[in-house]
Amino acid sequence: MRAPSLLINRYTWYELIGIYAGILVFLTFVLAPFVEGFLVSLKPLSQLFSSPYRFIPVNGSFEAYRTMWVSVPGFARYIFNSFFISTIVTAVVLILVVPAAYAFARFEFKGSSQLLGAFLAVNMFSGAVLLIPLFRLMRSFGLLNTYFAIIVPGVAFLIPSAIWLLRTYMMRIPKELDEAAFVDGASHFYTLRRVILPIAMPGITVVAITTFIGSYAQQFIFALTFNSKTEYAPLPVGLFAYFGRQEVIWNELMAASFVGIAPAMIVIFFLQRYLVSGLTAGAVKQ
Amino acid sequence: MGQLNLNKVQKFYGTFEVLKGIELEVREGEFVVFVGPSGCGKSTLLRMIAGLDETSSGDIMIDGKRVNDLPPVKRGIAMVFQSYALYPHMSVFENIAFPLRVEKMPEEKLKAKVENAARILHLDQRLQQKPGLLSGGQRQRVAIGRAIVREPKIFLFDEPLSNLDAALRADMRIELAKLHKQLKATMIYVTHDQVEAMTMADRIVVLNAGEISQTGAPLELYHKPANMFVAGFIGNPRMNMLPVVCKAVGDAGVAVEYKGQAVTIPVAGRSDLVGQPLTLGIRPEHIQIGSADLSMTVVPSVIERLGAQTVAYASLDGESENFCAMLPGSAAIRTDETVPIGIGAADCHLFDTAGLALERRVELTDVDMGLLKAGAV
Repeated sequence: MRAPSLLINRYTWYELIGIYAGILVFLTFVLAPFVEGFLVSLKPLSQLFSSPYRFIPVNGSFEAYRTMWVSVPGFARYIFNSFFISTIVTAVVLILVVPAAYAFARFEFKGSSQLLGAFLAVNMFSGAVLLIPLFRLMRSFGLLNTYFAIIVPGVAFLIPSAIWLLRTYMMRIPKELDEAAFVDGASHFYTLRRVILPIAMPGITVVAITTFIGSYAQQFIFALTFNSKTEYAPLPVGLFAYFGRQEVIWNELMAASFVGIAPAMIVIFFLQRYLVSGLTAGAVKQ
Repeated sequence: MGQLNLNKVQKFYGTFEVLKGIELEVREGEFVVFVGPSGCGKSTLLRMIAGLDETSSGDIMIDGKRVNDLPPVKRGIAMVFQSYALYPHMSVFENIAFPLRVEKMPEEKLKAKVENAARILHLDQRLQQKPGLLSGGQRQRVAIGRAIVREPKIFLFDEPLSNLDAALRADMRIELAKLHKQLKATMIYVTHDQVEAMTMADRIVVLNAGEISQTGAPLELYHKPANMFVAGFIGNPRMNMLPVVCKAVGDAGVAVEYKGQAVTIPVAGRSDLVGQPLTLGIRPEHIQIGSADLSMTVVPSVIERLGAQTVAYASLDGESENFCAMLPGSAAIRTDETVPIGIGAADCHLFDTAGLALERRVELTDVDMGLLKAGAV
């Protein structure tokens, strides 16, 4: 059944046209590279440099999706590395951030606002600014060319935004629930585990998704600088393998990019199920 | 088990004194209601008894043991919150079972206890539902269920009915009174609603600005308010206050003069009152049409007809506050038409300049002696 439209949601025909035109322009802008990338992956290499250029592939095929595994045999390993690093980073971030966000949301302690401010300040530095000191640090600890070297900076740079996100979510959970649990004899950790965690699940999911994506995106810079071994290289670094001495195998590169993103998409799709709203319905009178 | 003693309990927020040395004894099995205007400290006091707020000084004793530094669960209290505070992701069963799960009670015993609580609160059919599906009254019952499974010595209620609509509130009031009878537990109940206080309490504690204004049985507060604050707070509509001058004090009571009329009020007087200005209090429901010991005329500006009663408001000359009278439903009065009214001397209250009441000689038949005895501390 269609919900009756509210007066505030009612638009005239020209407003509707304007809205959809705006959406169209925006989506075109955002999605065009993906569409073009996909079309390139379907074309044989010779067609890519034909003149005049054609966007629609002539007798296109998924051939590149097969040959990409042949021309770069280690590609599966790169996907695994990316996936592995992001999963570990997300897990570590969640383990550290959930109790931290709960503490920031609930307890009053000296310096809590300063600490939060400091976390925000860390976020203002991009990883790139700190690459050289980090490199020296990694070298003196002998951690270069390990998974560890990619994972630890990744965790460090993703924690601040995760704390801010989750703290805001947890502050919206009524304080009376903590008090009721306290009166019933529950410890802080019991309350966190049995009461706060289940209610904060949508917030935690958002944090998990942003952390996973963030880690997928940012591992490139750390992998490039702190790692020179192919077996630890994640996807973005691995894609360089398609840049040959003579030529770049564009169609396979594009195919590889899409295949590489797939695991992340699947994870996000899976996590999305937990993004349900209204979990706190019935907790307190609103 | 379930006796509570408060000994000079104080609470400061910074330098602001919220509670000014509260002294109170709550006996086992008693239903005590804390009532007062918002900001009087009644909720803070309850939270201190619960162990949610710290006590600045003084002792909170439960069964003779000082509990100031104990967590709520070790005090043997259970609390029902104004906002229910149910765990939204758990079923009604799990919500009620929560305190028992914390105790790690064996499953079989736990199940029996939860089902027993659910039966008392008529929640048997709802055990598998989530709180989001329940109505306000049912949610509040779940919150009460969570309190009773623990079998605490003392129940604390923080305005538990204020989120319910009027009809449901009346029902829940009766349910709570029944529950008290059934469990025979000590209950402390905070409300700003004097109807809840009057109907449910064995004893009412009226708080004003961090102090106990008066403690007593409901009817004792109604018939013998100790001061002007309690007189004005208990009773609806509010008691009317008239300025009078004391003329004489004798065995029959205190003779006062109001606008040239002399009347002798049967209260215990002191000879030093002669010549002093006093305040005469008269409840709207004790005003009648016609003449009595004290007669006057008023011109009602607003008349509210409630069916059973008629409430008339008039402004007396020189008074900013409305003078209010509660008359029979069929009272023959009209707005802007003069009405003669009379006040019986025996119905009057007298307050001295400090606002303290001169003790009334109330007809004993007006007061249930059993209640009076329960209230006499």
